[in-house]
Amino acid sequence: MTAHEVELEWRDSDRAERLTVAAGETILGASEAAGLGLPFGCKTGACGTCTARLLDGEVAHKRLPRALKERHLADGYVLTCIATPTSDARLEVGAAVQADLVPNPWK
Amino acid sequence: MSDAEHPAEPHEHHDHDHDVEGPGYATPQAAIEQAEREKTAYVMGLHVGQDVDAPDFLAVVDVDPDSDTYGEVVDRVQMPNKGDELHHFGWNACSSSCHIGGLERRHLVIPGQRSSRIHIVDTKDRRDPEITKVIEPEEVYEQDLSAPHTVHCIPDGEILISMLGDADGELPGGFLELNDDFEIEGRWDPPGEIDMNYDFWYQPRHNVMVSTEWAAPQTYYPGFDLEDVEAGKYGRSLHFWDWEEGTVEQSIDLGEGGQIPLEVRFQHTPEGTHGYVGAALTSNIFHFWEEDDEWHAEKVIDFEPHDHEEWDIPVPPLVTDILISMDDRYLFGSNWIRGEVWMYDISDPSNPRKADTLSVGGYFGDIQEVQGRELVAGPQMLQLSLDGERLYWTTSLFSSWDNQFFPEEGEKGSVMLKADVNPRKGTMSLDEDFMVDFGEMPEGPARAHEIRWPDGDCTSDVWQ
Repeated sequence: MTAHEVELEWRDSDRAERLTVAAGETILGASEAAGLGLPFGCKTGACGTCTARLLDGEVAHKRLPRALKERHLADGYVLTCIATPTSDARLEVGAAVQADLVPNPWK
Repeated sequence: MSDAEHPAEPHEHHDHDHDVEGPGYATPQAAIEQAEREKTAYVMGLHVGQDVDAPDFLAVVDVDPDSDTYGEVVDRVQMPNKGDELHHFGWNACSSSCHIGGLERRHLVIPGQRSSRIHIVDTKDRRDPEITKVIEPEEVYEQDLSAPHTVHCIPDGEILISMLGDADGELPGGFLELNDDFEIEGRWDPPGEIDMNYDFWYQPRHNVMVSTEWAAPQTYYPGFDLEDVEAGKYGRSLHFWDWEEGTVEQSIDLGEGGQIPLEVRFQHTPEGTHGYVGAALTSNIFHFWEEDDEWHAEKVIDFEPHDHEEWDIPVPPLVTDILISMDDRYLFGSNWIRGEVWMYDISDPSNPRKADTLSVGGYFGDIQEVQGRELVAGPQMLQLSLDGERLYWTTSLFSSWDNQFFPEEGEKGSVMLKADVNPRKGTMSLDEDFMVDFGEMPEGPARAHEIRWPDGDCTSDVWQ
């Protein structure tokens, strides 16, 4: 078990950050310790406020990612509050990513 | 007045003069007569789910027209953590404890809908409240509950909070009880009485409580998915409880036409056995009442869906909040997507009669900006002055649902607006001189949700 390097890229923005995430640590935990200000809510995997999209690499959810449906998992969405990287990884982050999960059903 | 010495005895208000010993007012009419005009509003302000690295906050809003800071957020109490999603909140005591000497309406109980954290805020100094206690989520999860929503005080000082999920954010929900020191007393209801939970109201003289249904937190938290409605994951039932025993006596399935029953209100008169619930998704109002020792519910107002030229299917107006005026004469409500507030005459409770509507904000409102500020969403959480002459509202529903229906709400922030109401004539008019812009908060634009007054209001005061 080793630490992994995680690159965070904000959508519609030039902002990008690099983060070292210790073995077993969540991406959100490392991000909060570094003061990066990723969005989050319940921290238990139920609410999806922290949703990010995995662009490269692998992560593992430490408990059931209840906020995500099969289609979301298939599309690479992950919950940073319960996700720990199992390889170096690159993620799309920021509040806009959560809004991908469920579009306006009438539109 | 000897009731304070015998708080367990039935409370007979007709013997009272109007000098109650505890918080609140002897009767709803006393509240109308005795309350001063509201000068301060407490409003939930949110940054959860935004790219704003700041906690949610309690906003203290100046609503005194004689003040230099009228219509401004004059103080904010930031929560100690980020990510709470402040939503609904309530008082430690209301008029239901007006016979309890020594008890004051002074502490706000402010839950985090997403975090399951519960904050206690002391409003002794009304314009400078402070957090005095925080119940951390772990303590709440120990009761196998999460997602706190509605807060009502129980007569005699305890507090009851509807909880929408179990510790994992799945079903069943239940009710959490706090004691008068704001410590967790335990779970109020035996597990298994209900599956889904949302709002509740109690009417102690009739030993009844009514609760409504949203969905499991894991279902509604991420956003509103029609697939979940089709899969039966959203609620459509009312539950009538034995208030003393904490058990469900009767449930009513409102059917296909009564989907997602959210805000529920009993009449304020302690004698009343009439109430209303707004079924948000099907956008209609059900009247419920007791007759022959049974509860009944019937649809009494139906709001028709709209065709939107750029959208595939007709869109419901989305009734998201209702309230009853303190004199029980009017039912007010908001149609968040349509962009409308409405008032119906309910002097004949079974036959509501439209009194007036105001077309503002949302997708179809006539008025789309106030003081040059684009409204970006429809009217949502309502609060009415105790005298029934001023209706206020904010425009955010829930961060993730805002993102679906009014994505600009997160970018530009909410507004708080006001209409002047003429309860004699049954009319409303928008007061364009009043607008609180939550887009102008120091850390960035904020959402705004529930509103309360320091001296009681139309959505929390109950009488024994």
